Amino acid sequence: MSDTAERVKKVAAETLKIDLSMVKDDSRFVEDLGAESILSVVLVAAFEEEFDIEMDEQGALGVKDVSTAVTFIEKHL
Amino acid sequence: MAASNAYGPLTDQQVDQLTSQGCRADDWSDVTVADGFDPGRIHDVRFEGGVKIGSLAGTVTSASGLDRPCGIEEATLINCTLGDGVRIANVGSHIANYTIGAGACIEDVGVIQADPGSTFGNGTEVEVLNEGGGREVALFNGLSSQFAHLWCMHRYRPEFIEKLEAFAKAEVDRVKSDTGAIGTGAKVSAVARIIDVNIGENATVWGASALVNGTILSSGDAPTLIGDGVQAHDFIIGEGTKVTQGAIVAKTFVGQGCQVGKQFSAEGSLFFANCEAFHGEACSIFAGPYTVTHHKSTLLIAGLFSFYNAGSGTNQSNHMYKLGPVHEGKLERGCKTGSFSYMMWPCRVGPFSVVLGKHTRSFDLSDFPFSHIEAAHDGRCMVVPGLNLSTVGTVRDGAKWPTRDRRKGKVLRDRLSFDVFSPLTVGRMIAGSDRLEVLKDNTEKSVDTVTISGAQVKRVLLRGGIKYYRSGIHSYLLEKVVSRIERAVEQGGAGLSQALAASADSVYSERWVDIGGQMMPAKRLEDLYAAVGSGKIAGLGAFESALDAIHEAYGEDEWAWVRHAYKKVFGDNLDEVKTANAALISDQLLAVQGKFLSLILIDAGKEFDEVTQTGFAQDGSDTDRAADFQAVRGDFDTNKFVKQMKQAIEDLNTRIEKLKQALTVCA
Repeated sequence: MSDTAERVKKVAAETLKIDLSMVKDDSRFVEDLGAESILSVVLVAAFEEEFDIEMDEQGALGVKDVSTAVTFIEKHL
Repeated sequence: MAASNAYGPLTDQQVDQLTSQGCRADDWSDVTVADGFDPGRIHDVRFEGGVKIGSLAGTVTSASGLDRPCGIEEATLINCTLGDGVRIANVGSHIANYTIGAGACIEDVGVIQADPGSTFGNGTEVEVLNEGGGREVALFNGLSSQFAHLWCMHRYRPEFIEKLEAFAKAEVDRVKSDTGAIGTGAKVSAVARIIDVNIGENATVWGASALVNGTILSSGDAPTLIGDGVQAHDFIIGEGTKVTQGAIVAKTFVGQGCQVGKQFSAEGSLFFANCEAFHGEACSIFAGPYTVTHHKSTLLIAGLFSFYNAGSGTNQSNHMYKLGPVHEGKLERGCKTGSFSYMMWPCRVGPFSVVLGKHTRSFDLSDFPFSHIEAAHDGRCMVVPGLNLSTVGTVRDGAKWPTRDRRKGKVLRDRLSFDVFSPLTVGRMIAGSDRLEVLKDNTEKSVDTVTISGAQVKRVLLRGGIKYYRSGIHSYLLEKVVSRIERAVEQGGAGLSQALAASADSVYSERWVDIGGQMMPAKRLEDLYAAVGSGKIAGLGAFESALDAIHEAYGEDEWAWVRHAYKKVFGDNLDEVKTANAALISDQLLAVQGKFLSLILIDAGKEFDEVTQTGFAQDGSDTDRAADFQAVRGDFDTNKFVKQMKQAIEDLNTRIEKLKQALTVCA
C-alpha cells in the first residue's frame, strides 16, 4: 500500500470518526463510509490540508472511493 | 363612488309603487334617488334613516360571474348611499352606514355595518417580533415594508420612532369615519358578517365567514379576492392579494400581491409584497417581501424574514426566557430552512444561507452569508461558510423573484432590491472572509473546530470558506467594473475614466443595510433620520418619496461602493484604469466567473449522480434504475437549467472576446 493510500485512509477515518480498519481500498465515501452532506465537504478540505493541495471541484466530484482519491491526489502532488 | 347625478326626492307615484312592491320606510322623504331611477327594480326593501339610491339601470356581474339585473331585493338599508347600477339582494339582517359604489353587487349577506368612528383596521397595534410587545407597529393603509421595518426595528432612535408614530397616526385619523365604503365594481357574496370593513374597488369577497375591523385595498388593475371561510379581524389586506380557503387572519397586515390560504393562520404579523402563506401558522412575524411558507406544521414565530422559504415543520421558539418571551430571530434575505428545522431564538442568520436540523443554541452568523448551517446531534450549530454561493438554488432564486412580482397596481408600496450580489451581501462576504483569515492564522492544526459567534466551524473548512468568499467577491466586483468598461467602449472608449467615476450624487458607506427588502448605504439612512428629525420630512408622503429617491439612487450608490471595495480587494484605483489594463480586468472576470458558472454546473450535476437515483426503478432491476431516472428527471445534457448555464459560459467567453477586440480598436 502506498504512503498516499495510508494517509487517505487515516484522514477518512479521522474525519468520518470511524475505525481505520473499516476503510478499504474500494470503500465508497458516501455509500460505505457515510460521508454525506457537510462531511463530504469536510473530507475534501481534510485531504487538501493533509496533502497541501487544492482539489478543484470538478475533479473532486469524480472522487467517489478511496482508490480514486489516491489516484486523484497523487496527480496533484 | 356615488351616483353620477344629484339625488332628489321620490315622487308620490314612486312611493306608491315602492309600497306596492313590499317596500317600507320610516320616512319616505329620507329616501332620495338619482335621475333615471327605476322604482320597478326595488322589491321588499326596508329603508331606515337617509338612503340615497342611484339609477339602478342595466346589469352587474355577480361574484359567481353571472350577469344579474341591477336593483334592490329583500334588504334593509340604513343610512346608505348607493351609486348607479348597483345590485343588492338577499340581505339577512341589514346594511348600515355604508357608501356603495357604482356597479357593486352584494348578494346573500348577513349583516354589513359600520359603527361610528371606525378606522377600518387602521391603528390596530401589532406586536411584531416580540409577542410581549415593545416593537408594536400600528397598521395603516399606506404601510410599506420599509416604514414598518424602521418602526419595528429601530427602537434605538426614540425621537425618530415618535415621528413615525405621528405620521402613522395622521393616516389613521384620515380614514376615521362613521361610514364604511364598498368600492365601485366590488362583489360581495355569501358572507355572514362584515363589520367596520372598507372594501376597495373591484374587490371580490365571496364566501368569507366573518370580516371585522379591516380594510380590503383593491383597484381595477389589482383586484383583491377574499374567499371561502376566511375569518379576518383587525386587518388590512393589500391590492392584488388573495386571502382564501379558510385562512384566519387577526391583527395582521397582508401587503400587495400576496397569497394566503389553505387554513393558514396569522396573528400579530406583517406580510409584505408577494408573500405566500399556506397551511401553517405565523405569530408575531415580520414577513418581508417574498416570505414563503407552504406546508403544515410550520410555525414562524417572532422572526424577521424576507425572500425566505420555510420548509415543512420549520419552527422557532425561546423557552429560556425568565421575564416574558424575548425572541428576536432574524433570517436575513434569501434564507431557506429545511424540513423540521428548529431554531431557538435569538439567532441571526446571514443572507442566502440554508439552515438544517434542530438548533438549540443561539448563534449570530450575519457576517457569513451563503452558508450551510446544520445542527449537530447535541444541537450545536455547525457551519460551512460560503458553501451556498455557487449552488443551483441560489442562482435560481435570484432569477425567479423579479419574474414573480404579482403586484399590478399603480402604486407599489414596497421597494424591492432583488440583487443577490450587492454591497450588502458582498460586504458581508468581505467581513466574513477577514474573520475566517484571522481564525485560520491563529488556530493550531490540532484543533478540530473553532467557534464563531456561537456556531462551530471545522478548522479545515476555514480555508475553503475564504476561497468561496474570495470567488464571490471577485466575481461581483469584476462584473460591475467590466460592465462599466463595456458601456464606455460602446461609446468609443474615450469616456473610460468617466464611466468608472462615481456620480457626484452618489453616497458611499462601507456598510449597507437591508430595510424591509430595500438595500441602501447606511449613510442614506442616517440622512433620512436627520431629515425626519429636522422636520424636513413631515409626513408619510414625503417620507415615502425620500425612500423612492434612495431606491432610484441604488445603482450609483452601488457603484460608489464597488469603487472603494475594488481598491480594498485588488489594491487598484479604478481612476487609473486605462485601455490596456481594462483588457486584463476582462480576463480576470472570464477566469473567475467562468469558474463560478462551472461550479454551478457541477452542483446541478449532483442531481443526476447515482446516489440521487436511489429509489428509482420500483419493482425493476438495477439496470432499470438509470432508465427510470432518465424517464422521470431527464438527463444532464438536456436539462433546461444546465443548458442555460452552459450557454452562460459560452456567452461569457463571447462577451469578453468581443470586449477585448473593441479595446484593441480603442487603444
